[in-house]
Amino acid sequence: MGYDDSDRRDWSAGGPTPAAVKFLIAGGFGVGKTTMVGAVSEVEPLRTEEYLTVVSVGVDDVDGVGEKDTTTVAMDFGRITVSPELVVYLFGTPGQERFWFMWDDLVLGALGAVVIADTRRLQTSFGSIDFFENRGIPFVVGVNCFDGFQDRTIPEVREALDLDPHVPVLMGDFRQRSVSRDVLLALVEYLMDGHEPASRPS
Amino acid sequence: MSINHWADEPLDDDEDSFVRPYTITHGRTVSAHEELTLITIIVALTPPEEQFGTRGLEPEHRLILERCRRPVALAEIAAGLNLPVAVTKILISDLITLGTVAARPPLAVAVGQKPDIRLLQAVRDGLRRL
Repeated sequence: MGYDDSDRRDWSAGGPTPAAVKFLIAGGFGVGKTTMVGAVSEVEPLRTEEYLTVVSVGVDDVDGVGEKDTTTVAMDFGRITVSPELVVYLFGTPGQERFWFMWDDLVLGALGAVVIADTRRLQTSFGSIDFFENRGIPFVVGVNCFDGFQDRTIPEVREALDLDPHVPVLMGDFRQRSVSRDVLLALVEYLMDGHEPASRPS
Repeated sequence: MSINHWADEPLDDDEDSFVRPYTITHGRTVSAHEELTLITIIVALTPPEEQFGTRGLEPEHRLILERCRRPVALAEIAAGLNLPVAVTKILISDLITLGTVAARPPLAVAVGQKPDIRLLQAVRDGLRRL
């Protein structure tokens, strides 16, 4: 190639190519994942699709060869530019956690996760919590309370979700930027404390 | 082979995106650069008008070159072009092979290890400024 690195650097006026990390925002259907992404992102949440190839083992699988299915998953994501050197992406994970295990890209570069919980159907958060525990990905739990409505206390949520005592649990209305930001800050501070990822005794 | 579809909300089926996605890649379904991820940062190495040897590229290749004049994550390119991530990876992989874009992988975050404290401090400071 006819140019040296300094020419390239001059041209790509954005300066150095920033490093990227991401947070995962997980939880059941309609629980407020995109709400949280949108509350803190510097751009409107973007949507992208990924194809996952999954081998299904059907009940009529007589020849022992699993059929390959292609599943489309959609993710909403946002961006926070921390500095010219560092960009943080926030990915709202699709539901249906059973597919996540075949999806290495989901966790690549993930510093940690927020599991959003809805007190009226806490069971929809179980899959996400199990996934992050099994993968050793640190997470905090955010209980989304629209308009400040709280029908459960934090200890009740902690008990119902069988969380390890050191996992932070926060409540609030995630439509508010400051509330969503504080959940992410709690995650970062949790990471800084260096808690080992939870391993749940089974 | 069957196609299932699930998402939290119905997807926008923009009429202009109704192209069989792998047509753009000439039927290829696997990226030559397997290391590409959703948050791999892509940046064009030369201005689009100075890029020679790019004949034979699909229009989508050129759109990608336009979009990564400044560093941008692969997922943002995919979202901006309304292309599936898998297809976008193949197209970007072509451009890497041609030497027209560079890719920076995400920071390695080893599972079970504490991330670099300076990285965490930078993220925390960035969040506090929101």
